[in-house]
Amino acid sequence: MSKSRYLTAVSEIINYWFFPTRRTSVINMGEEELLKTLSESVVACDRDAVVKAAQQAIEKGLDPVKAIEKGLSKGAITVGEKFDRLEIFLTDLMMAADAMKAGLDILLPLISEEKVLKKGTVVSGTVKGDIHDIGKNILSALFSANGFEVHDLGVDVSTSKFIEEAEKVRADIIALSALMSSTIGGQKDVIDYLSETGKREKFIVMVGGGPTTREWTEEIGADGYAETAMEAVKVALELIEKKRS
Amino acid sequence: MVVFLDAVEKALTGKPCSERDYDLKIFSTKLREVVKEYDIKYDPENLVSSDNSLADDIFKAAFDFYCEVGTYCKDTERIIKFDENEIKDRLRNSPSRIVFGEGVDAGTMVPRKPEDRTPPWRFVGAGGVAVSSEDVFMGLVENYAKIPIANSITTPTLTRVNGIRIRPYSPLEILGAIRTVALGREAIRRAGRPGLPIMNSIATADSAIALVAGLHPEYGLRPTDGYMVATLAELKTNFDLLNRACALMSLGLPTAAIFGPIFGGYCGGPEGTAVVTVAYHLMGALVYQAGWFLAFPIHIKHIASSMPELLWVASVYAQAISRNTHLLALYYDYTAAGPCTKMSLYEMAAQYTAAITSGVSMETGGIAKGRREDYLTPVEPRFAAEVAYAAAGMKREDANEIVKNLASKYVDKIADPPIGMKYQECCDTKTGKPSRKCLNIYNGVRKELKDLGLDLSRNEREY
Repeated sequence: MSKSRYLTAVSEIINYWFFPTRRTSVINMGEEELLKTLSESVVACDRDAVVKAAQQAIEKGLDPVKAIEKGLSKGAITVGEKFDRLEIFLTDLMMAADAMKAGLDILLPLISEEKVLKKGTVVSGTVKGDIHDIGKNILSALFSANGFEVHDLGVDVSTSKFIEEAEKVRADIIALSALMSSTIGGQKDVIDYLSETGKREKFIVMVGGGPTTREWTEEIGADGYAETAMEAVKVALELIEKKRS
Repeated sequence: MVVFLDAVEKALTGKPCSERDYDLKIFSTKLREVVKEYDIKYDPENLVSSDNSLADDIFKAAFDFYCEVGTYCKDTERIIKFDENEIKDRLRNSPSRIVFGEGVDAGTMVPRKPEDRTPPWRFVGAGGVAVSSEDVFMGLVENYAKIPIANSITTPTLTRVNGIRIRPYSPLEILGAIRTVALGREAIRRAGRPGLPIMNSIATADSAIALVAGLHPEYGLRPTDGYMVATLAELKTNFDLLNRACALMSLGLPTAAIFGPIFGGYCGGPEGTAVVTVAYHLMGALVYQAGWFLAFPIHIKHIASSMPELLWVASVYAQAISRNTHLLALYYDYTAAGPCTKMSLYEMAAQYTAAITSGVSMETGGIAKGRREDYLTPVEPRFAAEVAYAAAGMKREDANEIVKNLASKYVDKIADPPIGMKYQECCDTKTGKPSRKCLNIYNGVRKELKDLGLDLSRNEREY
């Protein structure tokens, strides 16, 4: 055993006996317990605990696919459901998404075909001229938490930037947010641009935000729409499945 | 005293910070601390609170909170902060009355207190909700101006110029802003009340450049109209918004800070949302040098403000401000249900009864969540103004019973509300007059309110 791993082990033993609240990183943790720790640490928004548990999962030889699916993702789904019921709020959601990402950063490189785990790839952003980001941030966090690879372009994103990025990362979905009645025209601009450049069929386009309605979605020829971010995740999963089948 | 340039300088020299750190490490952390320190707790039994000490604690919590977290400037990525003395000094020197309007239609907005008999300022209309055409715009505004107890008008937002959808920061936005002003003034003149002020100037102008374009006196705006500068959630601003404030302040125009703290967002629950709503008033006074203030706390999921938690927020923030300052504060509502539904009227009545008895004035707001084009009629603003007028002077305890009763009528339907009807479906498009069906709903709910103890007929004639 290397010196650093020896010291880590000693420190964990000390923590276990003298600091019971730190027992989440305990040695000799069984597989089930480790998966539970990964899940619960995401729910607790505890980034450090997620990192520790993910490292331990590797040390214990736990299948990283299983660690993600039965550990991190399970916690993320719980977080999404709690946010939907407003048992937790946006700060918790963002911190849980951070914790989840920290765990994925450790586990994903160990999976040769990481795409297998992904539900899909999403390019998200608020359209040109609109600087509102909270709705888009929630959407990005919930997409990440639910196993999507998310490329969040921020706010006031130009039409061509959405399309360039979607082509670069081979996105399944372009998700367009707009908060103002004066800015939703930007959603139509992206769809028109895709159509006129012959790229419309390459991507699923979803729209959302304050003034967006089902009627508007149909009018501009978008593929999907949702009133809430949790609903958007469900719609995205359905649209991807439909496209792939 | 803090002047506008001080805020701009602070935006350039304040503490550098990433936006994410501001949201998660500064704003959220300090908010949790003050809510805990002042032991602020939501009380579902008292949606209209009668607890003066709770209101004062919320004010103190918001004051401490704002001293600590300040306002985040997104363009400079720095924090604009003010010390305790600067904030107190600005609050002392903020206007305690503003005259809006001209001639016989002029009026004076004054501060109110909880249970105050002083009639609230009644700022009625579309609340900036979008319309599809200039005809709809004209029909609505003319009929808003005919509401006898209207003190001022809030116009809709145009979404098209000659049928072309407006894009932000484009010439279309500038043309839309100019038309909003010219059409609004003309519609009010047609109603026979030419001096009535337009106070959401200019609804169609999102950018500073469009606002400045529409300000030219040639188009019809006056120094006695009301002007607005928005904020960004939560407690943030940017150069474009500061540009708006700068242009308006330089012309000496009465400017409002407008803000919609998000329940369920970084504000957390009702307690945090109440504290942040109060803190926004301080931000508006200091960063924008605003003379009047418009709050619309809103639910993150349902995009409405009629749920019990937000009724409580409306009540306690209003009491915190009205008991501890002389700021000219208004409340703006969002209903889940659409026009020509009983539910939207219940939602409005609950919100304005809570806010008015707690000491603020009102602007009629976003019906059908403010998200559907043309889902507007003149009936809902009229009803809201009548509720506000009738609720003035009511004891908070009595208001609480009425508000709880009203909330019980719609709370189960908020997740799936009736969307109601468009202007074209429930009004005569030539005259703007509401249909019989619409009026029957209005008269029916008025009768229900009278039975509950809120008599709307004391101040105006029937349709």
